[in-house]
Amino acid sequence: MKNVMGLVFANIYDSSLGQLTNKRTQASLPYGGRYRQIDFTLSNMSNAGIRHIGIITQYNYQSLMNHIGSGEEWDLELEENGLEFITPFSSGHPGSFRGKLDAIESATDHLRYAHEDYVILADAAVLCAIDLEEVVKKHIESSRDITVVVTRGIANSKKQLDLAVNLDVNGEITDMAVDYAAPADYLASMGLFVMRRDFLMEKAAEAVAHSRYRLERELILKGWTDAEFTVGAYEFHNVALFNESTDEYFRNNLALIDADTRKSLFREGLTIYTKVRDQVPCYYGEHSEIDNCIVADGCLLLGAAEHSVFFRGVRLSTGAFVKNCVVMANTEIGIGAHLEYCILDKDVKINAGVKLIGTAEHPVILNRGDVV
Amino acid sequence: MNFQKKRSVAMLLAGGQGSRLMVLTENTAKPAVPFGGKYRIIDFPLSNCVNSGIDTVGILTQYQPLELNEYIGNGQPWGLNRSHGGVQVLPPYARSKKSEWYKGTANAIYQNIGFIERYDPENVVILSGDHIYRMDYAKMIRFHEEKDSDVTIAVRKVPMKEASRFGIMNTNPDGSIYEFEEKPKQPKSNNASMGIYVFKWSVLKKFLIDDENDPNSENDFGKNVIPAILNAGHRLFAYDFEGYWKDVGTISSLWEANMELLGIDPAFNLNDGKAKIYARNYALPASFIAAESKNVDCLIAEGCEIYGSIRHSVVSTGCRVGHDAMIEDSVIMPDAIIEDGAIIRNAIIGEGCVVHSGAVIGGTFKDGEDRAISVVGKNHVIEPNQVVKPGEIL
Repeated sequence: MKNVMGLVFANIYDSSLGQLTNKRTQASLPYGGRYRQIDFTLSNMSNAGIRHIGIITQYNYQSLMNHIGSGEEWDLELEENGLEFITPFSSGHPGSFRGKLDAIESATDHLRYAHEDYVILADAAVLCAIDLEEVVKKHIESSRDITVVVTRGIANSKKQLDLAVNLDVNGEITDMAVDYAAPADYLASMGLFVMRRDFLMEKAAEAVAHSRYRLERELILKGWTDAEFTVGAYEFHNVALFNESTDEYFRNNLALIDADTRKSLFREGLTIYTKVRDQVPCYYGEHSEIDNCIVADGCLLLGAAEHSVFFRGVRLSTGAFVKNCVVMANTEIGIGAHLEYCILDKDVKINAGVKLIGTAEHPVILNRGDVV
Repeated sequence: MNFQKKRSVAMLLAGGQGSRLMVLTENTAKPAVPFGGKYRIIDFPLSNCVNSGIDTVGILTQYQPLELNEYIGNGQPWGLNRSHGGVQVLPPYARSKKSEWYKGTANAIYQNIGFIERYDPENVVILSGDHIYRMDYAKMIRFHEEKDSDVTIAVRKVPMKEASRFGIMNTNPDGSIYEFEEKPKQPKSNNASMGIYVFKWSVLKKFLIDDENDPNSENDFGKNVIPAILNAGHRLFAYDFEGYWKDVGTISSLWEANMELLGIDPAFNLNDGKAKIYARNYALPASFIAAESKNVDCLIAEGCEIYGSIRHSVVSTGCRVGHDAMIEDSVIMPDAIIEDGAIIRNAIIGEGCVVHSGAVIGGTFKDGEDRAISVVGKNHVIEPNQVVKPGEIL
């Protein structure tokens, strides 16, 4: 799809992910043993043949840049301007972005000199494997101005949705709401939007000129309500994991232990790419007891674990026991330690015999490099 | 065109037919044979080059080169996608006057004199594509230059009683070589050649041309070129190497080398934080280990789904091991499917094999007994309840 470019927002849910995004963007948050969240967004785009992606990021983006590099894992290094980082201050913008529209407006130069007719807007908080070529095809066929990708099963009257829609039997939008804990018959926006590039530039400029910065509320909802332009919905039927808060992030990591979720996320033809680390295969020791776990390369597992996710290079000592935990890269768990419901960020060291027990709703979270 | 001079260029001999690896090399050049869960044999010398600061590597290949070519690609996984130098696969090709297969190891280099000359190197490092080891060639090159050596040959001590199986270098106290004996009946020393040579390019070039003009020569480094250089009175030195090294040219040595990766403190430890071995990585998710599985003293690479039990084995990327399947003392190469209830012991299962449920492959052996390793070649299908006997090769 040479005629489509991607624009990815890297920081949208930083504040609701608490200490996990203290020193990184939500987009570069590790996920599922060996990924960063943005891998899913970039891979979906790359698999659809998109070779021009702008990543909009405001702060904490060192880890993001380090992860993505030249973008060669996603074939983005092939073309001039294949991958662009768009940051405040880099293009005459006076300060941090006041909303997605503000960020898009500041990317005007990138958009103006692009040669693609269509733009896909995405954030890196919803993880899925989606055929974006199909989405764009349906968008063009529908002749709508904007297509919103939506999914069922997320709205539950509790979760605050950025954008929720209700559809009639023909898939036409009958209601639209923003920042709304919509009931279960609503479909949640996956933060994926398709529209023409010139349309986006024009609408963003107009909105920002009127101090309207919020994409969902002040462009899409307003335009649809005022019948200023047309909005269609594309319903996605596979697994979409919304990692917009710490407890969702925790739950959705452990969700990979379910075979159906794995199958839906890692599908033939929709490969998820990530940065290569060249670690050795995991070694399981003489007395290891690993049940229902996701395990990445480079681990040395000598103790016991149940229902947990191990990122690369974790060392689980003899006699240690880990249950319902998300253990990020290069963490060391000492002899006889006992951990339940914890998120251990990278490079954490748990000394011998330490016991830490959280709950499903409130996991214990340790910061990168913490020693306990 | 003028190229910038390179101090050292490495030439990797990957052309061997690997006939002793039998079915594993039916459609695969030996250096492309999988090893250690996620590697291929060639990753070891290639990574050694990169870790030693050698950024120009020619790979000499002629048997079944397709898979190897694809694996090497542009050399990016090893950081060898350079604008000057990098890695190049060098098959025999039709030159203006004649075209011929590589007749021997020396002839393979002779046919690529043009490639080497482009970089105008001081030294040419000759490597073999079927050895598993980690080595800093830079140290060896430094030794070579300090000794003002014409040829430096890496050697390792082998037990005296085994010395007659190797090429033995007899040396003076200063390390200079006065005699080279290929598989001597009565060995005088136990310095076995590892098939790793550093040559002064000016010297090697002259002897390659002489060797080519000698109709009686077998065009082999060990048999012809090195003895000729020695007899001409040049400076040859032995470079002592200590550390893990294994020729994986046979089924049993390939199996053994895989087993030597196992344990908390294995004979060959790839996870000790020292020089990394790079491989072409495929985009696979982390592995899933089910509750009913029991994995003991084993390596399991990424992209696997493990429901069965694995003991003292290496399971490579992208494998599936079904419920109640049992794998012991075995090497499972990438993308193999081991169905429910299959039993695999003392075996090597090739890439992409499907072992249907209830099949039994291999057998058990007493300690100290010679293990007859069963081998199932690439992409083979073992039928339900089929029995593959110990030592049987399919």
